[in-house]
Amino acid sequence: MQNQILYVWYLLTAVTILAALLVVLAKNPIHSVLSLVVTFFCLSAHYVLLNAQFLAVVNIIVYAGAIMVLFLFVIMFLNLREYTEETKSNFAKLGAAVVGGVTLVAIIAALKKVQYPMPMRYDVRTGFVETLGEVLFRDYLLPFELVTVLFFVAMVGAVMLGKREKGERHF
Amino acid sequence: MPILTTLIFLPLLGAIGLLCLPDSARPVFRWVTLVLCALHLALSSWLWLSFDKQLIGYQFTETFDWITLTLGQFGVISIDYALGVDGLSLPMVWLTSLVMLVGAVSSFEIKTKEKAYFSLYLLLTGTVVGCFVALDLFLFFLFFEFMLLPMYFLVGLWGGPRREYASLKFFLYTLAGSVFILLVMIALYLSAVDPAETALSVGLVKDRAMITDQVLDQVHLAISQLQVDPAQLVHTFDLRYLSDPANYVPESLLSTMAGHEIFGMSARLLAFALLFIGFAVKLPMVPLHTWLPDAHVEAPTPISVVLAGILLKIGGYGFFRIAYELFPDGAVYFAAWIAGLGVLSIVYGAFNALSQNDLKRMIAYSSVSHMGFVLLGLAALTPEGANAAIYQLFSHGILSPMLFLVAGVIYERTHDRSIDGYRGLATPMPSYAAWTAVAFFASLGLPGFSGFIGEFFSLMGAFNSTYVPVWMVVAGGFGLVLGAGYFLWTFQRVFLGKTWTMHDTSVLTDLTFREKAMLVPLGLLSLAFGILPGTLFSITEGYVMEFLKKF
Amino acid sequence: MLSIISLSIFGIVNLFLGFLKSRRILLPATLLFLIVALILNSMDWNQQALYFGDMLRVNNVFVNFAGIVLITALLIVGISRHFGNDEEHTHPAEYYAILLFSVTGALMMIGFENLIMLFVGVEVLSVAMYVLTGTDKRNIRSNEAALKYFLMGSFATGLLLFGVAMVYGATGSFKLGGIASYVQMASMYGAVSPLLYVGLLFLFIGMLFKVSAAPFHFWTPDVYEGAPTIFTAFMSTVVKTAGFAAFYKIASTAFAGVYGFWAQSLAVMAVLTLLIGNITAAYQGSFKRMMAYSSISHAGYLLLAVVAKVPSSQSAILFYSLSYSLATVAAFGVLMAVSESRQFEGRGDDRYEAFNGLAKTNPLLAFVLTVSMLSLAGIPLTAGFWGKFFIFSAAVQANLTSLLVIAVLMSCVGIYYYFRVIIAMYLKPAEGEGISVSAGFTLTLVLTTVLTLLLGVFPDVVKNIF
Repeated sequence: MQNQILYVWYLLTAVTILAALLVVLAKNPIHSVLSLVVTFFCLSAHYVLLNAQFLAVVNIIVYAGAIMVLFLFVIMFLNLREYTEETKSNFAKLGAAVVGGVTLVAIIAALKKVQYPMPMRYDVRTGFVETLGEVLFRDYLLPFELVTVLFFVAMVGAVMLGKREKGERHF
Repeated sequence: MPILTTLIFLPLLGAIGLLCLPDSARPVFRWVTLVLCALHLALSSWLWLSFDKQLIGYQFTETFDWITLTLGQFGVISIDYALGVDGLSLPMVWLTSLVMLVGAVSSFEIKTKEKAYFSLYLLLTGTVVGCFVALDLFLFFLFFEFMLLPMYFLVGLWGGPRREYASLKFFLYTLAGSVFILLVMIALYLSAVDPAETALSVGLVKDRAMITDQVLDQVHLAISQLQVDPAQLVHTFDLRYLSDPANYVPESLLSTMAGHEIFGMSARLLAFALLFIGFAVKLPMVPLHTWLPDAHVEAPTPISVVLAGILLKIGGYGFFRIAYELFPDGAVYFAAWIAGLGVLSIVYGAFNALSQNDLKRMIAYSSVSHMGFVLLGLAALTPEGANAAIYQLFSHGILSPMLFLVAGVIYERTHDRSIDGYRGLATPMPSYAAWTAVAFFASLGLPGFSGFIGEFFSLMGAFNSTYVPVWMVVAGGFGLVLGAGYFLWTFQRVFLGKTWTMHDTSVLTDLTFREKAMLVPLGLLSLAFGILPGTLFSITEGYVMEFLKKF
Repeated sequence: MLSIISLSIFGIVNLFLGFLKSRRILLPATLLFLIVALILNSMDWNQQALYFGDMLRVNNVFVNFAGIVLITALLIVGISRHFGNDEEHTHPAEYYAILLFSVTGALMMIGFENLIMLFVGVEVLSVAMYVLTGTDKRNIRSNEAALKYFLMGSFATGLLLFGVAMVYGATGSFKLGGIASYVQMASMYGAVSPLLYVGLLFLFIGMLFKVSAAPFHFWTPDVYEGAPTIFTAFMSTVVKTAGFAAFYKIASTAFAGVYGFWAQSLAVMAVLTLLIGNITAAYQGSFKRMMAYSSISHAGYLLLAVVAKVPSSQSAILFYSLSYSLATVAAFGVLMAVSESRQFEGRGDDRYEAFNGLAKTNPLLAFVLTVSMLSLAGIPLTAGFWGKFFIFSAAVQANLTSLLVIAVLMSCVGIYYYFRVIIAMYLKPAEGEGISVSAGFTLTLVLTTVLTLLLGVFPDVVKNIF
């Protein structure tokens, strides 16, 4: 049983990383969005493996479902099909590669040395909505409430910036 | 009457008063300044006369608590408004009043933006005096930095064509020096404590009046054995306490006992070196002198007078009062280097002066050369040397204003300061030639004038010193010869021979009454102090005796 | 705590006030709200408390930092004169509401006791800033700045979140106390999880980005230049103060046990920040860009106090933030007045040349800007001097000699570029006519100047409560 889960995990991880790479590398934005959807699905599967069923469902509904569809719509509306070559100097590319590579090596080196503690007990209820709700409304009540401020700012800001004004530049 | 506070705040109030006057009162500004400066000189002359030469230590002291900062576990910093004069600062205060008065007379030629000019001028006067009478290192630093602002604007607004460059260079150089001083200041207050205040804070005595020497000894003992809770220590900037090694907390950065090292160098020696650099910029010492010729050339005549007459003296004063008194060990350690730098300044300054064609530049380099004698006398650490260093500061404070006034006289008439632009000026301007001769001869060290005393005694002091190699003294003596060379050569080229100039000869009128009123007293003073050096030595002697006990 | 709640409510109230026909009420209302928040905040003095299951810690440090943030916000609102009375397409109610919300975020960052709160606070503040940067919608630079800030900022926030997750993985706790006790124990036995180190680095990188320390400063000049000046002022003061409050808190409490690990890398970054900030600032032709680099360099000085991590560091950071905020608000205020009345290439002139001869046309504005520049440069008798003094004192106490030498040399470089504008104002001939400014605007600027000078002469008044 343990081994089978491990195989599933390896498979999922490989697909996740591949899909995530595709998001960045795909020339066509629609392909990018579609691979992002795949990535989200894989992440949801990871949630399930981590015993967080509710989060898995929410992730699919909200991200893979709603937000990605919105993304697709926007891209289709804007008709961003033709791919314009981004001009970046070789120096910048080299710098980015070096920094990214070093960070990757550092993270891998550090994570290889980590000894993960074995979970003490397994409780199937951990990922249930009640448990989540209890944690959210007891321990994390304050951040939960204050996140509303964040959403509010984002909402007000989005409306304000999105509104078309007199004399505004159009692209 | 708190005389020292008056000396600082009389000009400052005058500056504020000028700012409040309406623009229509334009002709009055210069007279107000003149009267205030005359009053200032009268007050400091009174100070000189009532100074008790027998007493050792500071007189006319005034102390008020100003800033008290609690640092939690680290105790308290107490910054005091503490003023006082001793044998070192008294001549400097009097010199300040004198030069400022001369500068005020010379400022009559300023014809633009008078209100701002005279306010800044009075502001400068107050801050310079504050520098000389401050007994709290912080207060000193405050005046030291703050005087840069009026000076910056005085050069920058009323200066010559390259005034922006010159004023910014002056500002940056001095400020770079002063941040080094700031660093040492921070290390000092973290290391030293005020024993009297500490006695109060630990509850050893109830009242300030009950503090006796015994109590102070008790506190010193307790501090040296680390018995005082650090939170109860009262850290101080007071120079009177900073100069006593017993007030340093053991194991602190600058304690004589702890022997901390930074970059493989003793922390105390490093601190001395930083202070030295900070004041050497102001003095100025070769190779930190390059701001001086530029500032002088661009500054209007009265500001050159003030710059050479007093501001440079603050560098020398800082050596005595701060670098040497607080770090005698550093002074001894670096003595040969300091003497070497002094000789370098003397010779390099003199050679540069020889090669100049601009009269003001020549005089500026001669200042560099003359200030080298101060360093040489100071490095000697002998009674003659130290006395001569103070004397040289004072004498240069009388002579260099004279030199710049001389340069200003010709500049005002023709707007040309080049030495090769004139020949034989003695014929159309006889009294100008006469008083220039007095200034030049006094400056080159003719016996009978004050310049001779300072230069001769500093060479003698260096010769008698165990710290200064003989070849340096010989090289310094050679600088004296060079000094004679550039002054005499300049005098010969400008004043002797057949009259010739590329300007209209009709403008070459002789000295006006105002110019005579500035040059004659200065020349006579130089003569008086040259013939009767005892007037000054009797004041500095007591201080120098005490000063040398530290080494 | 009450200040956070009240500010979130006031923000919403402000939005509703936007429905009213008269926009005149918005400015006084916002000022009133901030003053009420300030009063509520000061009521927490000497009231140690932990709220909502160790989410938020209110103590005197919180009150002090929050006080600085609120006062800065008050001053910035005080100089926000053009919201709404001249152009019909601006949305003053929204601006003020977002400002109030962002202050809420700043207070969360100051008071957090749990990394979740830190994250929410950072996000509220950042999102508000992204929006405000782009408010000048007709200006292509503002659009570019907003997008740049948003992209880079989200990336930094991602790193921050990643760091938080890894720190949680290593320590099993989001609470500062929990992390601190793990770090203490683990470093005692020499068994600190590598996960913690990586997490700590990511967390720090995220925070350093927010306070624009090198090498994470690349967004700063463009964003500061593109954003409307009033919001640049807000960004460079409130964000920095809150950022450093949070940064110092997390470094000195949660990660105190691995000081040796982060002090070294942070020291390197402090040096980089000081060098890049000061030297690049000296080359700028635009005053606004210079102020951006100068804000980077001030982050360097503040980092010095964080690296020192001695008990006096905290009050040094407090004092420095206060003096820096006062001077920066004044500088940007004068810049606003000047660049609005003098045009260059079709937009507000923010070059040094715009200030030519200001001393003749507007002596008061010139004086305000001079004091502000002197304070930023650290000349005695201004608050900035004491800020530097306390920071350097902390560095001397921690024996950071080589860092200190660089900081001191760089402060000399600072004089050079701060004086360029003073030169322009006093030594250059005047161009154009005088600038007319409103009474409230002048009053606010004079207030900052008076405070700067007052703190310069009597620093103990404020320092002794920090």
